[in-house]
Amino acid sequence: MMSRRAGETILIGDRIEIVIAQIGRSRVKVGIRAPRDTPVMARELKLVREENRAAAGAGRASDWGGLVARLEPPLQVSGAATDKDIARQEAAPKN
Amino acid sequence: MPSLDTKNFGRVAFETEDTIEFPRGLPGFEDRRRFLAIRQQQTAPLVFLQSLEDPELCFTTAPVLAVDPAFRLKLSEEDRDAAGLGAVRKPRIGKDVWALAVISVRETGPTVNLLAPLVINLRSLRAVQAVMRESTYSHQHALPEPAEAACS
Repeated sequence: MMSRRAGETILIGDRIEIVIAQIGRSRVKVGIRAPRDTPVMARELKLVREENRAAAGAGRASDWGGLVARLEPPLQVSGAATDKDIARQEAAPKN
Repeated sequence: MPSLDTKNFGRVAFETEDTIEFPRGLPGFEDRRRFLAIRQQQTAPLVFLQSLEDPELCFTTAPVLAVDPAFRLKLSEEDRDAAGLGAVRKPRIGKDVWALAVISVRETGPTVNLLAPLVINLRSLRAVQAVMRESTYSHQHALPEPAEAACS
């Protein structure tokens, strides 16, 4: 654990720098300077990427009937989003 | 009318204006930007998202409301911009956008990615795979076993 103020920097090794750019009420803006060969991404994005790759390999016609049985019949309901504040999480890679 | 080779349905004719465009691609498939949504009566509500650039790439998806009728869409500003929804603060499913969850079939049973549905702007067909903000939705939401006796 390490506590930092806005504008302060954390170093990881010699080549990775993390700047706490801005601290808001519920989110933090972080600037990251890393070598080009070091991927910088939000964790969720990594999960989504892996999930997409797994899904792309699936999709046999023999599965479809079983899938349909597990789904609700098509609905024509409009589910309006309610949250006023749409949160944003930013990782700003700076190379 | 142009046509394309599909993974599951042979050669399919389509209208160019029905092309769904993901300007940033999909995570893991960043260079696949144009897709066609294929639906057939016997597999409703499934939606097959066939890549126009790669005949072998086809995602099996389902509308999020067919997975979870209470699903709430919470888009970041960045994702709204990517889908050309900048002016629409709270896009409604079915009215402003179509929201499809990607299905994975695993040995342990099928799961759907409710954390990051494909959100398609119904007016322009610009789309983005949007990670839901401040949500507890899972990227591997298990699809329940079908009920033995449907109450209908």
